[in-house]
Amino acid sequence: MKTNKRAVTADMLVHLRKNQPRFEGIESGHRACLGCGEALAARLVTEAAGPEVMIANATGCLEIFTTPWPESAWRLPWMHSLFENTGAIAAGMEAALKAQGKPTKVLAFGGDGATFDIGFQALSGMLERGHNVLYVCFDNEAYMNTGIQRSSSTPHAAMTTTSPPGSERMGKRHLKKNILTIVAAHQIPYAATTSVAYASDLRKKVRRAMEIEGPTFLQIHSPCPLGWGHDSAHSIKVARLAVQTGLFPVIELERSELIGSMPIRHPRPVTDYLKLQQRFRHLFNKDDARAVEELAHIQALADHNIKHYCLDGEGMDALDSDGADTVRRGGMRWA
Amino acid sequence: MKLTRGGFAYPGTTLGYKTGTWRIQHPEHAHWRAPCHAACPAGEDPQAYLAALDEGNPRDAWEILIKVNPLPAITGRVCPHPCEAGCNRGQYDEPLAIHSIERHLGDEAIAHQWLYPVNKPSEKAPHVAVVGAGPAGLSAAYHLVRQGIQVTIFDEMSEPGGTLFTIPDYRLPRQVVRSEIERLLDTGITLQSNHKLGRNIHLQELQQDYAAIFLGPGVMKSREWSVDGVTPNDLHEGLHLLKRWSDVSSVPDMKSAAVIGGGNTAIDIARILKRNGVDTHIVIHSSLPDPKNPSEDDMRAIPREIEQALEEGVQIHDHHGIKRLILRGEKLTGIEIVRMRKLRNAAGRLHRVAFEGTESILHVDQVIPAIGQVIEATGMENLLNGSSWFKVNEWGQIAGKDNIYAGGDAIEGNGGTVTEAIGNGRIAAEAIAANLNKNELPTFNKAEPISFTSLNMEYFEPAPRVEEAILPVEERVGEAEIESGLTGREAAREANRCFACGNCLRCDNCWTLCPDSAVLKTDEVAFDGSYYVFDYDYCKGCGLCASECPTGYIRMLDE
Ligand SMILES: Cc1cc2nc3c(=O)[nH]c(=O)nc-3n(C[C@H](O)[C@H](O)[C@H](O)COP(=O)(O)OP(=O)(O)OC[C@H]3O[C@@H](n4cnc5c(N)ncnc54)[C@H](O)[C@@H]3O)c2cc1C
Ligand SMILES: Cc1ncc(C[n+]2csc(CCOP(=O)(O)OP(=O)(O)O)c2C)c(N)n1
Ligand code: SF4
Ligand code: SF4
Ligand code: SF4
Ligand code: SF4
Ligand SMILES: [Mg+2]
Repeated sequence: MKTNKRAVTADMLVHLRKNQPRFEGIESGHRACLGCGEALAARLVTEAAGPEVMIANATGCLEIFTTPWPESAWRLPWMHSLFENTGAIAAGMEAALKAQGKPTKVLAFGGDGATFDIGFQALSGMLERGHNVLYVCFDNEAYMNTGIQRSSSTPHAAMTTTSPPGSERMGKRHLKKNILTIVAAHQIPYAATTSVAYASDLRKKVRRAMEIEGPTFLQIHSPCPLGWGHDSAHSIKVARLAVQTGLFPVIELERSELIGSMPIRHPRPVTDYLKLQQRFRHLFNKDDARAVEELAHIQALADHNIKHYCLDGEGMDALDSDGADTVRRGGMRWA
Repeated sequence: MKLTRGGFAYPGTTLGYKTGTWRIQHPEHAHWRAPCHAACPAGEDPQAYLAALDEGNPRDAWEILIKVNPLPAITGRVCPHPCEAGCNRGQYDEPLAIHSIERHLGDEAIAHQWLYPVNKPSEKAPHVAVVGAGPAGLSAAYHLVRQGIQVTIFDEMSEPGGTLFTIPDYRLPRQVVRSEIERLLDTGITLQSNHKLGRNIHLQELQQDYAAIFLGPGVMKSREWSVDGVTPNDLHEGLHLLKRWSDVSSVPDMKSAAVIGGGNTAIDIARILKRNGVDTHIVIHSSLPDPKNPSEDDMRAIPREIEQALEEGVQIHDHHGIKRLILRGEKLTGIEIVRMRKLRNAAGRLHRVAFEGTESILHVDQVIPAIGQVIEATGMENLLNGSSWFKVNEWGQIAGKDNIYAGGDAIEGNGGTVTEAIGNGRIAAEAIAANLNKNELPTFNKAEPISFTSLNMEYFEPAPRVEEAILPVEERVGEAEIESGLTGREAAREANRCFACGNCLRCDNCWTLCPDSAVLKTDEVAFDGSYYVFDYDYCKGCGLCASECPTGYIRMLDE
């Protein structure tokens, strides 16, 4: 097919890129995989947080794909921490800025491995000491950068290289850790979940957290096409289904109390979500009674979430799981 | 160098690394025509004017609309709107009320006396003759003038409009017809009324004096009708009664009548009679529209009109034919009707079969044939060669005649609607203009329109279709218009329901969701018709933007 894709000149592109009507903390040219949910989530966070921030970033995909030596995709002061100490590094940065009387907000970025598991005690300390830091966990539900090992965030029954399905197990035996409740139990002012599928919700929550003086926490569901085994074009679709099935509740907690949730208008069966992903493909063997049972188990987990977090919608709501992404001509829906 | 935070620095950023080299497929913004567009016999692209209206610009919307169809206040009222049957939104909740918007824009233009933005052709420009000031001729004339060609229309009647004036006022008020046509003629079209081809003027003269001819004479002669050669002595024929009604607002005295036929003429005369207190029946061998039956067997009239006729108490005997007139002397006292169906015979051809033993009597004192019209051939015999219609090619050109074109009801295979006549006129005008200006003929877009499955419904919300207010049956007396138009606010709300199938609605999805910031937003329309351009230096070809484009405006193509 004939294409006119070169009709824009390089000069025009440079000019346009410099004049985009939004702040982008991460530039193009980063080395994330095609359709990476984490790359999108991180850009959206920086867009909402604005330029007056500094970042401590744990080891992981985000850190790796944005900083291929000697280049950097960051347009913000950014520091690579160890895998295990992001909370501590961010706390130190915050204390130093405070001592200098600077208003700059510190952000801490970590994957689910860095947050749920290996950096957990540093995070807990940071929260407990009340540092004015927004900690963002990019939750792609496994240790992706080292080749898809299970983490305590990996959902039940998902396949990873360290939770393979076979004669003994149907993927991961254990459940996804409820990190939000644990974090909120530090009685911090604000802890919330959000998803790349709902960019407005994501940005609103970042802005909310930015305004709060004190430790805040955001967990962003970020599909990983490589690790989850879905089409790179479907990252948003998959993330949206996680919310619409009830498997990933979008909620807000203040001082450990539930204060808000995104209602689900029409809960979708979990299989709609699972069948798009290779990490769950072993659950679709109808002749395997264990697979049938696991599907029922996952559906029960979703149903439990819907009940537990009161996610059942009441009719049409502009901010529910179906309404929140409605388009308006001229991009007017975006918050 | 000191950089402000968030400032733009090339050196040292990943911008030096072109991730576009990873790509095996790339996205492209590409217009894909909407099914409403493909379905409109006039050739309108409703999506385009719905967008303008949604953006709050009704006048722009009207100007977009009248680039194709100069008579929207008329078609918005009487077109059977196949666009709505094709509308993708029909597969989600309810189709867009396209005809109501079309009418609204036409009515706004009348109310504000918006002028057609057309320059009067120069006096040196070639001159084309148009015969017939019905919708076909008017459309041809308008589109020729738009392209800088001079036009004179000849019509045998004293007023332009043709059959539009036969459509009763309760559906199409004559002030609407007049107001729209008057402004249309003001674009610089010359009208010679009371000029009949074959009487006051002749084809040969036109051929000598004009660079080309467009014929839109409609079908003015009623088909002959009798039952085995017998007719009552006081036979009134449907079209004639309608014209009389439109001229003097009266119908002959009668108590009851059986109208024979299932087209718009049959329905309209039946409704007029009913309004005048006549017990009215329609006898028609085809079927009432029913989604369960094949539509080829449906009555030809517009389903909405059939529905309203039934509401008003017209009795329709579908799948029935007339078998015998019951006469006392030469005066009718009733008719014998029989059930019949169109069935395929051994050779596979449809033919009518009457079922013995299903005869019944309708006691009526009038039988009114409304079985269709044919062209009034006087003066055009040479072009018809004994046929009942003009045979034309896809441009409306009469076979073997370089500079003679025809359109509207008078051409073979025409569906007999105002909109089709307007479409014929426009297409012929394009061909004539191309010919006279020695340009290439435009190409027809025959590509499949974008399907419902190419859209992403996650990004839309159910919303009820706006309906025009309809007069309750008891208030449908005389000429009062039955359907009233939309308010500006209603029209805007309805326009907002459009999915913008195959077009960019500037929703920002691709710009917001590209993980690689490879979609750049522009202030103005970019070369490809959207407000966004792809930066292929960095686009990795993940396909996410295409998948999340609500309207199917982004397509992934192999590198
Ligand atoms: C009762 C009725 C109801 C209808 N309802 C609808 C409807 O709801 N919706 C719809 O879409 N369509 C409807 N139609 C059909 C519609 O009116 C026609 O399809 C349409 O008007 C055709 O346009 P035209 O330009 O081909 O011909 P016409 O509108 O018939 O115009 C032909 C013109 O040519 C002139 N003319 C003819 N011969 C000569 C000659 N020799 N010299 C000079 N002038 C000549 C005539 O005076 C006339 O002005 C209806 C028709 C009727 C009769
Ligand atoms: C202490 C320590 N252990 C192990 C590693 C190796 N390592 C680097 S990135 C990574 C996985 C990161 O997983 P996660 O935090 O979930 O981020 P993701 O890559 O999935 O975004 C691991 C195990 C390390 N860098 N440091
Ligand atoms: S492995 Fe997953 S998280 Fe890492 S860059 Fe690729 S898509 Fe993104
Ligand atoms: S939704 Fe809009 S663009 Fe799509 S078919 Fe209907 S009117 Fe046309
Ligand atoms: S989302 Fe971005 S990277 Fe992916 S195909 Fe579209 S423009 Fe390219
Ligand atoms: S995603 Fe939205 S902004 Fe992008 S091309 Fe499609 S309609 Fe236009
Ligand atoms: Mg991870």
